[in-house]
Amino acid sequence: MIEVRNLSFSYPNSTDKILKGISFSISKGEIFGFLGPSGAGKSTTQKILYKILHGFSGEILIDQKPIQSWDKTYLEKIGVGFEFPNHYLKLTGRENLKLFGSFYNSNKLKPIPELFKLVGIEKAIDQPVEAYSKGMKMRLNFIRAIMHDPEILFFDEPTAGLDPGNAHIIKKYIKKLKEEGKTIFITTHNMNTADELCDSVSFIDEGVLQITDSPKTLKNKHGKNAVNVLLKNGINQDFPIHNLGVNSEFLELIKTNEIDKIHTLEATLEEVFLKVTGKTLSQ
Amino acid sequence: MQHILKISIADFWLIFRDASLKTFLFLPILIFVVVLWGLPALINSFPIVGEYTNYIILVSTIQLTQMFGFIYGMMLVDEKETGVAKVYGILPVKKISFILGRFIMPMIITIMLTWLLLVIQPFYKLEIFPCFLFSLLSGLLVPIYAIAISLFSKTRLEALVWVKTINLLVILPILAFFVPKGINYLFGILPTYWMYQGLEQMIMNQQYLMSWVIGFIFLLILLGLVSRRFSIKHYE
Repeated sequence: MIEVRNLSFSYPNSTDKILKGISFSISKGEIFGFLGPSGAGKSTTQKILYKILHGFSGEILIDQKPIQSWDKTYLEKIGVGFEFPNHYLKLTGRENLKLFGSFYNSNKLKPIPELFKLVGIEKAIDQPVEAYSKGMKMRLNFIRAIMHDPEILFFDEPTAGLDPGNAHIIKKYIKKLKEEGKTIFITTHNMNTADELCDSVSFIDEGVLQITDSPKTLKNKHGKNAVNVLLKNGINQDFPIHNLGVNSEFLELIKTNEIDKIHTLEATLEEVFLKVTGKTLSQ
Repeated sequence: MQHILKISIADFWLIFRDASLKTFLFLPILIFVVVLWGLPALINSFPIVGEYTNYIILVSTIQLTQMFGFIYGMMLVDEKETGVAKVYGILPVKKISFILGRFIMPMIITIMLTWLLLVIQPFYKLEIFPCFLFSLLSGLLVPIYAIAISLFSKTRLEALVWVKTINLLVILPILAFFVPKGINYLFGILPTYWMYQGLEQMIMNQQYLMSWVIGFIFLLILLGLVSRRFSIKHYE
């Protein structure tokens, strides 16, 4: 669905390359996560993909067709959830969606009240957006991105500014969109969001793609292939996963002691990122 | 066309819900009151003012463009500040036609107001069609004015400074009437110079077509340049 080959980009009047020959591909129905610290090139990549930035080198194919040769029908196909709330504050939520919705094919538009209900802000539908909390504005961002039933979705920090309950609703809906066959490109700092949602992730740092794989593979590859047993008496011990069922020491320990916790020692995505780039995501 | 209508309606909602922008809608009324009643009363009390009537009409005409120039300039800056401009960047509509289409309503209103002021001012008997020609130039000035403000400013505060600066540049060519012959052409680098010259020639029953054509082409080129720049910068 999206094929990016050797993409490089510099802003006009700058010699610094923001993107240095990155390549990745996203299949139809896949959730792809782009992870990296601020200034790594995540937003620039997304802006190129939704045709706000031009003048890149390399190749971008959308459904096997170069992005440059797509006309405005491409913009009908995509939906963008921006990182920060961006609405007309003096207009109501309904007026905002009606205005922006009027630019899309009306046959595909979802009913506005349903969209508001979906993210739990139906009571605020006719209130001016300036009266919304940040979380409500972010949810309005989300429903604006999906209101025209796009095939490709770009979400920049989709759960930023949301309480855990609402973040859960958004994540659940993103998974539903994937089930419907939508292709989803997420950029985030939030490793839990990436881990929970993404089929594959890429780590980007200083304009270079460091690694691309599924979160599960990355965590296994960079973690310890072992389980940790924590006993009620505070003792804890690691055992290799390989042949765990016949590991007499392990079996003896769990038979003869009261167990507090047993967990695998796979790495977290944050740890993998640190290992691969030498940086934390907040750097 | 349907998009343009919807965005025009939304623009008017935004203007009416913003106290500072709404106030500016009264500017034409003020200008009409000054020209129709204030100026005759002033000339009555101070006859010397009568010698400058034509210049006062010229400046009043150009000032009518300030209303929508200011309002739309502020709205565009506000869109940048709130990030709404980015949303327009991803809408399935051609950027240039969207920008120009969005200005159709304010241009039409400005053209109508300018034409009306020129036709009903009580000092000169002007013909309807030439008045319309110069109203077209005023209409063209509105998007240039608004887009220039938004290109130069990142915040509303900065925009206020640019409003003053651009307004000064718009009014400046009136000085061309008060400087020695020859030097006046230096003001020709500003588009409103040709509007002032042409309007003055029309008022004085002289040949005005050349000034109008130069002014028209000048404004069209300027509009093309600022729109192009705007379509690249505004949505980033």
